[in-house]
Amino acid sequence: MKFISQLIPWNRLDKTLLIALAGLMTFGVLFIYSASYNNDLFLSLSTIRQPFIKQPIFYAIGIGIAFIICLKDYNILSRWAYVFYWLNILMLILVLIPGIGTMRNGARRWFDLGPADFQPSEMAKVAFILAMAQFLSRPRGELSDPKVLFRGICIALLPFGLILLEPDLGSSLMILPAGLAMMYIAGAPARFVQKLIVGFILILVLALTYVFFIPANWKPIELPDHQKRRLMVYFNVDYAKQYAGTNATKAEIRQARAMQRKDSYNVEQAMISVGSGGLTGKGWKKGIQNTYGFIPQGVANNDFIFSVIAEESGFAGSTMVIVLYGAILITGLRTANKCRDRLGRIIATGVITMLFCHVFVNIGMNIRLVPVTGLPLPLLSAGGSSVICSLMALGLLINVRLYQKII
Amino acid sequence: MNSKQSHREKDRRVLVIGAIILVGIGLLLAGLWYVQVTTAIVYIKDQKTQSMRTVRIPAVRGSILDIHGRPLAQDKPTFVINAYLEELRHHFRAEWRNSKTEQKLNKTESGQLEIAVRHRVVSRFTEKLKLTQSIDVTPKQLQAHFSEKRALPLAVINNLSQTNIARFAENSWKVPGMELEVMPKRYYPSLSVAHIVGHLRRKTHNDNGVFQYNYHLPDFEGKLGAEKTFDQYLSGQPGTRAVQVNNMGYRQVESMPVTPTPGSNVFLTLDRSIQEHAMKALEKGLNISGSKAGAVIVMRVDSGDITAMVSAPVFDPNQFTPGISHSLWNHYLTNRPSALLFRATQERYPPGSIFKIISGLAALENGLNPTEHIQCQGSYRIGRRIINCTANPGLYDFKRAFKHSCNSYFIHHALSQEHGVKHIIKMGKQFHLGKRTGLLPEQETAGQFPSLNDISRGWSDGDTANISFGQGPVSVTPLQMALMTATVANGGTFYHPRIIDRITHSDTKRTKSSINFPQSTIRSQLLVRPENLDILREAMHADVADPEGTGHAAHIEGYNICGKTGTATIRGGRKTTWFTSFAPYKQPNYAVVVMVENGVSGGKTCAPIAKEIYEALISRDKQTSITEN
Repeated sequence: MKFISQLIPWNRLDKTLLIALAGLMTFGVLFIYSASYNNDLFLSLSTIRQPFIKQPIFYAIGIGIAFIICLKDYNILSRWAYVFYWLNILMLILVLIPGIGTMRNGARRWFDLGPADFQPSEMAKVAFILAMAQFLSRPRGELSDPKVLFRGICIALLPFGLILLEPDLGSSLMILPAGLAMMYIAGAPARFVQKLIVGFILILVLALTYVFFIPANWKPIELPDHQKRRLMVYFNVDYAKQYAGTNATKAEIRQARAMQRKDSYNVEQAMISVGSGGLTGKGWKKGIQNTYGFIPQGVANNDFIFSVIAEESGFAGSTMVIVLYGAILITGLRTANKCRDRLGRIIATGVITMLFCHVFVNIGMNIRLVPVTGLPLPLLSAGGSSVICSLMALGLLINVRLYQKII
Repeated sequence: MNSKQSHREKDRRVLVIGAIILVGIGLLLAGLWYVQVTTAIVYIKDQKTQSMRTVRIPAVRGSILDIHGRPLAQDKPTFVINAYLEELRHHFRAEWRNSKTEQKLNKTESGQLEIAVRHRVVSRFTEKLKLTQSIDVTPKQLQAHFSEKRALPLAVINNLSQTNIARFAENSWKVPGMELEVMPKRYYPSLSVAHIVGHLRRKTHNDNGVFQYNYHLPDFEGKLGAEKTFDQYLSGQPGTRAVQVNNMGYRQVESMPVTPTPGSNVFLTLDRSIQEHAMKALEKGLNISGSKAGAVIVMRVDSGDITAMVSAPVFDPNQFTPGISHSLWNHYLTNRPSALLFRATQERYPPGSIFKIISGLAALENGLNPTEHIQCQGSYRIGRRIINCTANPGLYDFKRAFKHSCNSYFIHHALSQEHGVKHIIKMGKQFHLGKRTGLLPEQETAGQFPSLNDISRGWSDGDTANISFGQGPVSVTPLQMALMTATVANGGTFYHPRIIDRITHSDTKRTKSSINFPQSTIRSQLLVRPENLDILREAMHADVADPEGTGHAAHIEGYNICGKTGTATIRGGRKTTWFTSFAPYKQPNYAVVVMVENGVSGGKTCAPIAKEIYEALISRDKQTSITEN
């Protein structure tokens, strides 16, 4: 122990952050248990494969990796950033190749590793933060050079594009705000950042216009159908108009409406879950939406874990979760603010932006604030890749905290 | 830009990021507050609608009992095997996997296979129970239940026999999702009361009530008789069962927030044993005379309480629950004589000679000297019409004329007396002829009786002659005749007849909610001289007691039955035969009226039936006096 305490400056460790992490993990185990202990999908599996057993194991592995990350100063780690980045790019390419990547629900996102699956896009997010930070930590003056900025954008667009090809719109979109925030913190000219944001919004508007208002026969490419439908559910677009057209038969309209009901089912059930939780919730393991299968059993313990938490612990519990995330984000911000060197600041900003985006989108989709995307809630959703990579990213944040040169 | 400035710039940028994050968190919290607190009620309601099914549970129906508490209609347990679909769903799935073939099925084919699979699973499990009864549900019925009431158990075998109950107990561990449950079924132990007690029919629910149920368990409502009149007391208050269902509509948990309150019991004034004796005696009498329809009434003369009231032929109320088949119902509707008609109150008949009680009393009141003799020629001539007299030609005084039922005597007096017919009509009014008694509101006819107005215009001597012996424009119900006889017997008090004694709550502690129907309510008092009633009663006594009296077949030694026979002919040669009576002569207890459609004659067909009923009354009264002492 003495050896370790000499290696790592423990006195700098932020207690609030650790308590918040411990709190989230407790929530995670409790509610993954609630969401899966009585679940037909997992009944036939052995104890070791039950999500609520696997989750603490993933926590342990993640904490171990985070600990290892903390052994060396981030300035040393970042020398390997590009290697790590290109390694991840390679994995993102490999996962697209049929036979190597495993196809599920129409997406090729996983490597099947036997007992667990590995989702390279999760680790790519961490690799992207590290590489982007390394790239942006160059002298500030160089960031005014459009060529340099363009290369920076490319670092973001490469994993973005590859993840989009899987397809995994949700995960790929997380890269962009993180990259933007890092550029902003790194000191890229304000006008450039503004242009980026405006451009981003413009592309979004154009894309939505393209999806909704351009007649189908004018379009050279169409958005993958399920993504389009998710957007339609979010914007409450009438399926009958979009799909059946103006001179549709009654049967066609009925079919379109049935499809709309089916597509909006998850969100509606999540809303009912969250809303019926009320102020104090129904009590642990007493959620009806999840145990009676209204929230599909396949997603209740991962992407829609928040609906389970909200139903069973009410507004009090959801606030608690948000406060815990808020504590991590604020300690992260403080770390970024205090850090004297630019690399540390950029890493910390990248991690907290990425974390915030995940939390915002995941919780937001439960209350119809954002469209539904298959995005995990960091640390709470069941799933090895997400948990381990979230802890890796948080390990980086702690690393910055431990080794930063304070102003 | 010096380094200090750049630091400040960086601080600002971290703050901007921090501000964006805080706004984001604030947005989430506000959104959650809106969904979970402000509009939570909407989602709680939505959740209830999608996961809660309410089931209306009918209460146990109250019993209908006789005056001594013997059942006339009651709920009896029957045993059913219920299949709980949610416990069988895994077996459905396994069977489905096994039956899937290589080739892909289209939607309708796979739908049909699903139906067949479910039925196969349920049948196989019921077979494993090794019962002698087989499954009652067709694949179609199973499918209907599955798609509409998945949360409720499905009754797969109804009406389990005793041996099968034992077999189920022995084998039930071998199969999942099957349970033995009790279902009440309405049971009518005595057919003799069918018309009075009535029957049930399946209730159709048009949810107009305050509470909307998702499902209704089968429930029945009174369609006829006491079951209908007192339906609101008998049916009790339904309970509610709340079933929570999962996303597939299968049952998860259930509770009973409102338990049903059992219905009240209705006690009738009838005596079941007398009722059954009356029915037996009537059916025997019908058999002997070759007739098919008739009615009997036994009434207490001192209160108007009905002790027995039967009508033949009779229907079987047990056939109406759970449901009557079309062919059987059509049979009841078209078959003649109709079993649905309650002849004691619902049909009107010419009274024939028993009307001489009224015409005789009217003549006595009008100054007839009962000892004066009249010569009877064996027929009576009015203008061109000759009315035959069944009595032998000879000299008749009142008593002799009455017991021989001499028409000429009564015609003569009706015509020879001043205002003779007017007095008959007035006397008939005193006995409330042509008016309903109000005993069975939906099963009663008023009969027919001319008014004083009717006789003032277009009324001939022939009409007067006819009415004097109960023919012509007069028709009565057996109940009206029973009331007439009881009034004569008790010395002139006309009671409201009574058949409902009391309604009591099945929970004996709740005596407050019981209702007692008052006994001996008087409708009117007869305005006649008592000595004339004495003359009339004496004549009625002689009609039975004297060997040459027309009603001698009813004679019981030592019981002093008083009576009057009647045989009315209807156009087409059909007859209505009567015997109306009361007993004992000096302290009358009962009035007994027997009416048979197309009997041989009142004396030959009806009097023996009355005799049997009196015998039953005598032996019952003996037994009660023994037990009382």
